[in-house]
Amino acid sequence: MNWSLTKPTGETTGGAPSLQTAVQQSLVLTRLQDLVSWGRKNSIWPFNFGLSCCFVEMATSLTSKYDLARFGAEVIRATPREADVMVVAGTVFIKVAPVVRQLYDQMMEPRWVISMGACANSGGMYDIYSVVQGVDKFLPVDVYVPGCPPRPEAFMEALTLLQDTIGKERRPLSWTVGPQGVVVPERPCQRDLKRDVRTKASDLRTIDSI
Amino acid sequence: MSTSTLTIAEELQERFGPAVFGVQETRDGIPTIWVDAASIKDIMSFLKSGVSDPYAMLYDLSVIDERVRMDREQHYHVASYTVFYHLVSFGRNEDIRIKVAPTGVTPAVDSITSVFPAANWYEREAWDMYGVRFNGHPNLRRILMPNTWTGHPLRKDHPARATEIEPFQLPDEKLQREQDAMMFRPEEWGLSRGTDEFDYMFLNLGPHHPGTHGLLRIILQLDGEEIVEAIPDIGYHHRGAEKMGERQTWHTFIPYTDRIDYLSGVMNNLAYLLAVEKLAGIEVPPRSQVIRVMMSELFRIASHLVWYGTFAQDLGALSPTFFMFNDREKILGIVEAICGGRMHPSWFRIGGVAHDLPKNWDKPIRDFIAYFPPRIKDYDNALMKNRIFKSRAMGIGAYNVKEAIEWGVTGPGLRACGYDWDFRKKRPYSGFENFEFDVPLAEKGDCYARAQVRIEEMRQSLRIIEQCVNNMPEGAYKSEHPLTTPPRKDRTMHDIETLINHFLNVSWGPIIPAGEAFFGIEASKGAYGYYLISDGNTMSYRTRIRTPSFPHMQMLPLLSRGVTVSDLLAILGSMDYVLADVDR
Repeated sequence: MNWSLTKPTGETTGGAPSLQTAVQQSLVLTRLQDLVSWGRKNSIWPFNFGLSCCFVEMATSLTSKYDLARFGAEVIRATPREADVMVVAGTVFIKVAPVVRQLYDQMMEPRWVISMGACANSGGMYDIYSVVQGVDKFLPVDVYVPGCPPRPEAFMEALTLLQDTIGKERRPLSWTVGPQGVVVPERPCQRDLKRDVRTKASDLRTIDSI
Repeated sequence: MSTSTLTIAEELQERFGPAVFGVQETRDGIPTIWVDAASIKDIMSFLKSGVSDPYAMLYDLSVIDERVRMDREQHYHVASYTVFYHLVSFGRNEDIRIKVAPTGVTPAVDSITSVFPAANWYEREAWDMYGVRFNGHPNLRRILMPNTWTGHPLRKDHPARATEIEPFQLPDEKLQREQDAMMFRPEEWGLSRGTDEFDYMFLNLGPHHPGTHGLLRIILQLDGEEIVEAIPDIGYHHRGAEKMGERQTWHTFIPYTDRIDYLSGVMNNLAYLLAVEKLAGIEVPPRSQVIRVMMSELFRIASHLVWYGTFAQDLGALSPTFFMFNDREKILGIVEAICGGRMHPSWFRIGGVAHDLPKNWDKPIRDFIAYFPPRIKDYDNALMKNRIFKSRAMGIGAYNVKEAIEWGVTGPGLRACGYDWDFRKKRPYSGFENFEFDVPLAEKGDCYARAQVRIEEMRQSLRIIEQCVNNMPEGAYKSEHPLTTPPRKDRTMHDIETLINHFLNVSWGPIIPAGEAFFGIEASKGAYGYYLISDGNTMSYRTRIRTPSFPHMQMLPLLSRGVTVSDLLAILGSMDYVLADVDR
């Protein structure tokens, strides 16, 4: 590979690199397992799925200011069969629960679920006859995002947390290769991790100024 | 104007004699007339076509469960349930409320669908929620709750909380049962599956579909690509907001209103609080009125921007959404700086707003006023003048004024067919009479006309906001009335009586005097209002939420017959509904 870089001062670096540099710059050595995990975690395709208010904030995270594409997760899929993650964004109604379950069942393994917002986490404000008290009553949830609705930043944090998990997950490369079964890394409670930093906060913005 | 010198109550009395029982006093001044349930159809047709400046629009219809009402004896209530009909006369600029008390083990009253076709869904909702039967209804079946549901949730003896009933589980057998119950059977709707020669195709659009903007299911009977009949199936977004109103205090219900039309934020608070304030007789100081108007109009623009972006997306233009959401972010930034929240700030309070405007509040708003108009112009060039956009929207989904009024269409949808009706102008509230703004109109009533009206409305809202910023009055941001929330703290340390009252107001919340009041506003989607009944308690006895999207959605079959599926998505996009606003 021939390249050169000219600085504003006129100084030029580069030229034909040594063999060692060339090898360093063009070869990646890794284990297949890690490569697959890396690919998987950086291309989580969300299912185009929303239930209520939270979905507006989730959609906002796709737009320019937040730009979910930075995390490789902007490829919204309209069919569950092509999607990797289902973001349950909004209230899970009893009337729609069978539909949610069916859509989840149609997703291919490996698949993940982000529960976005208080309603999907626990029913939230809506302890009412028509609302399921949390989507985890009938779906396995990987990440819970608090908020009503959570800000787009909160959703993006959830996505990066999920990416970390997926990057560390160990899945068999084939049914004949290596040990079978999925090894999921530990997923510590964020509240505990952040407690020290949070308790140190002493100045909060007052309501009197912008 | 009405040529008759008789009031409408006297006119009814004269015409129907003993079938008219009497007039009930309400706080909102809407003539509320109790009539005999047996004559309801005749009275409705008389009001619709027999009087001068008739009551042409069925604005609302629902039920009150009177069984545990504390002030029951003071009224004409003779039965367990009351069915009320709320009609609007545009000619008189007046409303009327008719109440009947059906009797019997299963309370029943004649259906008025033959007089007002818009009553169809309202009566189904009343049956679903209260178990009141409507004799002669063409298809009286559940509308909001699943078909497998037992009981009628808004009855006072039905549990309110999910935690009071059996925890929800979804084993495979139940999943199968529920899926079977959702299966569409054309015969139940009087639809033919086809003839010996050909079959119709039935397409199930939703309840989860990117084009429906939320949980809405539409069943389409198709002949090729042409829609023969469309049947909306709603209720997938029913959050029981009305039941919630009967258990939250007057104050703590405010956050739930934000989530009705979840794109319009504090504008929802406004409608609710104006009704509460009317009930309690609270005067709001000028500063808080202007703050309220300013924030509501900001949210109108934000809501219209979401509509604009998603409508463009429905018609195949992906990039406008990104531009419009960026503009919306700017508004949400202002909202966050002032209220502390983004989508659901819940920032208005009974008697005013939560706190005064922060220092330098006007800077970001002035910036936005300067920033936004060139953007709308850009969008006009990119979309409204775009050939593809025009050919997808013009002449599609058109209706005329008569149809609009018949089906209860309000807001931009009504103005898009040339009818000059804006509640901010016709019945000014919260000081709207002091603002200069125009009511945008269009002629054709099609998708394109609705878009024109909304785009011009954004400009007008910006004008109103500018007037708010330039003329913000000084003074209190909250009323001095003892029922405001949270109550005024200033004087509590002087005598024990005030302290006790303060404590009760903080812990239990205010007790709003017994009475009934409706207040409707011009929300971003149309006429939106709260009908509140207090029996002198810390919470509402009945909270009825009249939302614009419900009747708009009911009109969908009328608009979609004979068009193609892709046109249906254009129609849906142009209607600008929010599912939480349809199902509540």
